[in-house]
Amino acid sequence: MSGPDVAAMEDRAVFAMGGGGFAMEPTNALLDDFVLGLVRAKQPRILFLPTASGDTNAEINAFRARFADRICVPEHLSLFRLGDARRPLRETVLAQDIIYVGGGSMRNLLAIWRAHGLDRLLLEAWRRGTVLAGLSAGAMCWFEGGVTCSSGRPGPIEGLGLLEGSLTVHADGEPERLPAWLAGVRAGILPGGWALDDGVGLLFRGRRPERLVSSRPGAAALRVDAIAGELVRHRLEPELLGAAPDGPLGGLDEAVQELRRVRLLRQGITGERG
Amino acid sequence: MEKDSSLLDDYVLSLAGQAHPRVCFLPTASGDADHYVVRFYRRFSPECEASHLSLFRRDQGAGGIENDLEAHLLAQHLIYVGGGSVVSMLGAWRAHGLDAVLRKAWRKGIVLCGPSAGSLCWFREALSEFHGSSTRVRGLGLLPYSNCVHYDAEPARRAEYHRFVGDGMRAGFAAEDGVALHFRGSSLEHVVSSRPGAFAYRVEPAEDGVVETRLDAAFLGPEGAAPDPPALAPGGAPASPAFAPAAFACTRPLAV
Repeated sequence: MSGPDVAAMEDRAVFAMGGGGFAMEPTNALLDDFVLGLVRAKQPRILFLPTASGDTNAEINAFRARFADRICVPEHLSLFRLGDARRPLRETVLAQDIIYVGGGSMRNLLAIWRAHGLDRLLLEAWRRGTVLAGLSAGAMCWFEGGVTCSSGRPGPIEGLGLLEGSLTVHADGEPERLPAWLAGVRAGILPGGWALDDGVGLLFRGRRPERLVSSRPGAAALRVDAIAGELVRHRLEPELLGAAPDGPLGGLDEAVQELRRVRLLRQGITGERG
Repeated sequence: MEKDSSLLDDYVLSLAGQAHPRVCFLPTASGDADHYVVRFYRRFSPECEASHLSLFRRDQGAGGIENDLEAHLLAQHLIYVGGGSVVSMLGAWRAHGLDAVLRKAWRKGIVLCGPSAGSLCWFREALSEFHGSSTRVRGLGLLPYSNCVHYDAEPARRAEYHRFVGDGMRAGFAAEDGVALHFRGSSLEHVVSSRPGAFAYRVEPAEDGVVETRLDAAFLGPEGAAPDPPALAPGGAPASPAFAPAAFACTRPLAV
């Protein structure tokens, strides 16, 4: 990217997804195409950070499969395997138009980023106008707080604080997460914020929420605040992107099946890949 | 877990001093790579009570240990740390409090071992090459030295380590691929290897740069010079009988 060192506030963007994109919707590219459409570059450079999953091959392959034949320059950055790339991190990160962060353990994600100094580089990239996108842990990390299952049971966790408020994800797909978030907001451990269903993405320009979009009919979001110790909830209806694919493709059932498939893959120890 | 040799694994299992030792694998530095975990079970489950601890799949019941990490680790005879990125590993460990648990395990006498990142982590300082230039990494500090692995893998590695030690990194040990440093307490007790003709080195700052001293390694294979590894530091302070922390740090290409 050859832009200025500091972008105007309205040219800085974060796109936070409650679940969806290539990692969860292999047959529905609406959210990922929306991400590509956020930048002006004719052939955007898009960097995938699979840190939160431990750089699983399944996730990296899904990223490649989604972006390989789209008009962009995709690459991924591993913080576990050196590979052939020995470019300094700063050079890699600041050369991008889009940085796309995958899901997994938010606790590990932030700790590993900090150990490499990547947290500061990502904030610098944002200030320069690189779009920061992500799902699940890769969405919550930009906020003041979120809900992680990094230690087993869901519990509140602090984020990078680039955006005000808190975020919780998979509001429809992982039912145990939402109550932990609501309890955290009610108790004042987490600031008020948004709960996003799978397939829903919230776009921020600067620090202001601008658009709420979805890849699936029926998916929604909640805005929740604690006022005098009581939770005040508003249901938010996202705008549905494009035309939904025929039949159940991209629907919840398939997403759940896909998630189960990925989990089986990750469990790996009974798998055939060793 | 070298692809072509089990000599170092056999050696480290002998240190556990148990017929059927409890061995826990920490694959954190590889991002808990599935194929590495599989390799561990293939190698160790026939002889050991083998388990692994995943810091990435704690919500998914993936067959690893999910609940009381500390109790599980402190019940082991041997903790085997896999290779990969030492910086990522230490970051994740600290976020889960594993650094403190591993110190406790060491004080309790549990044998700690590992190749590559699994060697570097036990030392006060380590030389890491990841994403560009070499960096100085602060390890857990159980061993009050610096460490450099894959010493023979690239010509630049030795020069870099010399430069860092010359510039104020503490004195330490470098190991070629296939060579393991066996410490008891904080003294180096044996140097062993799975390959004939491989060496370790002691590198210390000197008035004019560094002094490098070659340390012979006892080959553990059949044509080996000595069935028992020679004691290197007979005058060194062995750990007290009730308190025998040991770290076995080896180096070899990461088989991930």
